[in-house]
Amino acid sequence: MNNVCEEQVFSSIFKANSKTVFNYIYYKFGNEEKAHDAVQEAFVKLWENCSKVMPEKAKSYLYTVANNLYLNVIKAEKVRLKYAAPSLGHSNESPEFLMEEQQYKEKLDKALNDLPENQRTTFLLNRIDGKKYAEIAEMEGVSVKAIEKRMHLALKTLREQIDGI
Amino acid sequence: MQENYLAKWLSGELSEAELSEFKKSEAYASYIRLKEVSSTLEAPEFDVDQAFQQLKAERMETAPKVITLHPFKKFLQVAAAIAILITGSYFYVNSLDESIATQLAERTEITLPDNSEIILNADSRISYSEKKWDEKRNVNLDGEAFFKVAKGKKFTVSTDHGTVAVLGTQFNVENRKGFFEVTCFEGLVSVAYKGQETKLPAGSSFLVIDGQIMDVDKPDTLQPSWVNNESSFDRIPLEFVLAELERQFNIEVKTQNVDKNLLFTGTFSNTDINMALKSISTPSRMNYKLEGDNVLFYAEKTP
Repeated sequence: MNNVCEEQVFSSIFKANSKTVFNYIYYKFGNEEKAHDAVQEAFVKLWENCSKVMPEKAKSYLYTVANNLYLNVIKAEKVRLKYAAPSLGHSNESPEFLMEEQQYKEKLDKALNDLPENQRTTFLLNRIDGKKYAEIAEMEGVSVKAIEKRMHLALKTLREQIDGI
Repeated sequence: MQENYLAKWLSGELSEAELSEFKKSEAYASYIRLKEVSSTLEAPEFDVDQAFQQLKAERMETAPKVITLHPFKKFLQVAAAIAILITGSYFYVNSLDESIATQLAERTEITLPDNSEIILNADSRISYSEKKWDEKRNVNLDGEAFFKVAKGKKFTVSTDHGTVAVLGTQFNVENRKGFFEVTCFEGLVSVAYKGQETKLPAGSSFLVIDGQIMDVDKPDTLQPSWVNNESSFDRIPLEFVLAELERQFNIEVKTQNVDKNLLFTGTFSNTDINMALKSISTPSRMNYKLEGDNVLFYAEKTP
């Protein structure tokens, strides 16, 4: 029987989800330390309640615990994201191009931080973690349509902010 | 264009027609760039293995806590239950009457809270409420006892035959099966028997045998004889004499061809069984056989 209390099952749940839980909390609050704590907290809770949580529900259980942990408790900070190093092919771009690229990233950073928390989380979970809308909907406990709405608004707002519309 | 088309476009869910329409819009290039640049974004480093080790350590740390917490909880529960039981039984026992009893061939002296004294004869029992003693001086008696009552409020002795009430005196109450005797040695005793009150001045007795009030002579002693290790009888049916003998020596008495209604007058020792047996058998013209704890009285003429 598949039981979360089994070391192996628990370990595989951890390996599959811990990074996303970390990112999820980080996107929301921009605090790495709190995101680390949230991962620990969520999995300790899952372990303590391993007999009560079905393996297929473990994922949403983790996000619920992690989310509730800081709900209304901490103030969102600036989310600082890195950009993957440009591939070798781009390294001999002109200085103007590189500078423009840098400016674009700065604008995107600012625009992301100005987004409402739920839009930013949805956008980044999709862009960075490659999560499908349905998965994000499950994490957030809302409908897929609500996630699509958030995504649409996020894209629209980001583009407007960056283009200065 | 459908609702949330930007989200649909990003996930590749737009129809051909919608896509070509979107491509024509001037914002399209901006969205393409946004899509491309955002796909190079990276979240802060997160070491899954390290986090898992940390979790294991944390779990191990918390595990003993969980284990130790529960027995303590249980211990508290048990302790609470015991505390309730102890308090409960304390109040229960406290509310219970003091009870003192003597076995066969045993005698004991009791001092009551007001320094009144009771000497309890063999196979007898008294009980009284120590807590309410100041309000009500009452002793329940089953058996025989000699009372030296300290002066004070009304002192009552309740028996299943009747109630004896005094103010401060010395008296003896014997309450046995079919036998009720009150003897007053000092002061004045009031005996209520079947709703009838009898005043007993010093040196008089009140005797009921099998529901019949008997006439008795005045006792000539200051204490009941049993207090001095003798049992005295004045025209008492043999049946009650033998019953007293059984109580004083913890023996079993049997009779053969003996009329137990015969009245006996006399005294037997409560300490020397052979003397006692002789004291009873000789005046009643009986023989006896003592074998261990059994005594058989038989008529003299029977072999």
